[in-house]
Amino acid sequence: MPFPNRASSSLNSIIHPTDLPAPMPGRLRQTPLKNPDRPYLAIGLEGSANKFGAGVIKHLEDGSTSVLSNVRHTYITPPGEGFQPRDTALHHREWALKVINECLDKANVSMHDVDCICFTKGPGMGAPLQSVALIARTLSLLFNKPLIGVNHCVGHIEMGRDVTGAQNPVVLYVSGGNTQVIAYSRQCYRIFGETLDIAVGNCLDRFARVIDLSNDPAPGYNIEQEAKKGKRLLPLPYATKGMDVSFSGILTAVEAYTFDKRFRKDGQPKDANDQDIITPADLCFSLQETIYAMLVEITERAMAHIGSKEILIVGGVGCNERLQEMMRIMAEEREGKVFAMDERFCIDNGIMIAQAGLLSFRMGFETPLAKSTTTQRFRTDEVHVSWRA
Amino acid sequence: MTSDTDWHTITIRIPFASAKHAEIALQAIQVDPELQPHAVKRTLSVEDDVLIATFDTLTVRLARLTVNAFLENVDLVVRTLQEFGPAAAQHIHV
Repeated sequence: MPFPNRASSSLNSIIHPTDLPAPMPGRLRQTPLKNPDRPYLAIGLEGSANKFGAGVIKHLEDGSTSVLSNVRHTYITPPGEGFQPRDTALHHREWALKVINECLDKANVSMHDVDCICFTKGPGMGAPLQSVALIARTLSLLFNKPLIGVNHCVGHIEMGRDVTGAQNPVVLYVSGGNTQVIAYSRQCYRIFGETLDIAVGNCLDRFARVIDLSNDPAPGYNIEQEAKKGKRLLPLPYATKGMDVSFSGILTAVEAYTFDKRFRKDGQPKDANDQDIITPADLCFSLQETIYAMLVEITERAMAHIGSKEILIVGGVGCNERLQEMMRIMAEEREGKVFAMDERFCIDNGIMIAQAGLLSFRMGFETPLAKSTTTQRFRTDEVHVSWRA
Repeated sequence: MTSDTDWHTITIRIPFASAKHAEIALQAIQVDPELQPHAVKRTLSVEDDVLIATFDTLTVRLARLTVNAFLENVDLVVRTLQEFGPAAAQHIHV
């Protein structure tokens, strides 16, 4: 039976328990990926959003992997501003060569030593993607190395699986551009649920702009710190729709509180009688609690559907400790386990592109030069995951 | 290439350090199609160590935008060649 790409809108009619081959932990299958006959090296170049990253990964004969280097440079805009495609592309063009050189130096390898050059094919912002692909192509031609175009989301998932050792997890992919609940089935990362409008990180970033939080090191990080000082949980819309979520209405609602007459921008009461106030910290706290609760809910439902007890959180928002904590509480109640990473691997990086690229390269995949274009739209479930059973 | 006299033609000749580098630049840049193929016709070729680009555009504005984007791409490729060209050449002689 052909699988629909998305099952979220009509779960009951399409998904029958017998259709799902989801391997339970303990039920191991033969993996199509053979251990390499020699060590393999790959360099990965990532620049789909406001970070340019380069990393070198090594796959060893015993099947283990080691990260030789992982360098990143972030384009940080002033408070109140987001990153525009053109300016972001200019940032990558300026920093790419420095970052690539640093990553090769740290790994102590030469470009001659790598087996393939991996780059992000999509999804992401057009101009930054194109700039990075142009560099990847030039290097590929200069050193006569094969090119591997990588799906950004699959990069996140593969790096997460490698770093945490999760076997068959439900993947929550949360970043500034994507919000998806994903599970593996039949050589495809199937999207079980996703955002219907903006990504969760986009919602956080844009709210950070509303209350003039700094974008350094990341707006989401500053919201998390601010939320720790919050005392008041304000009512916000709770927008899960089956397996999907929606954030744009929540953003509007939380923004509306900043026009409330109880709102104090400096967070301080006017005088001793001024008790019923709303502070930016309260809004950060309320926003986080609401949207993370929604994410935990759809993740829990996906766990029930595929019968997995593992949760892997990837993407930039995945390094939020409050999200990890809330997910852990849910997982404990279901006797499950949460796998999460720190910012080195959660936030966009080059090493994840190298990891996913090298896996497909070892399965014989290569991107011919003529096909090495980039694309802003490239869904997670379009990729044939040939390296998994 | 067209009888329509409204088209604007621009030819750019960019010398490279070697014929090989010019060829690499051509191949790397060639991959990305023009965003408005109906309004911009691009022809790239290499003569010795010179990259020759010819653009036929429907409007002057498009001519400016297209050439600007092309030169930015050439700049990026040239800087990449400059940075990694010596390392790439070194290995061949070993």
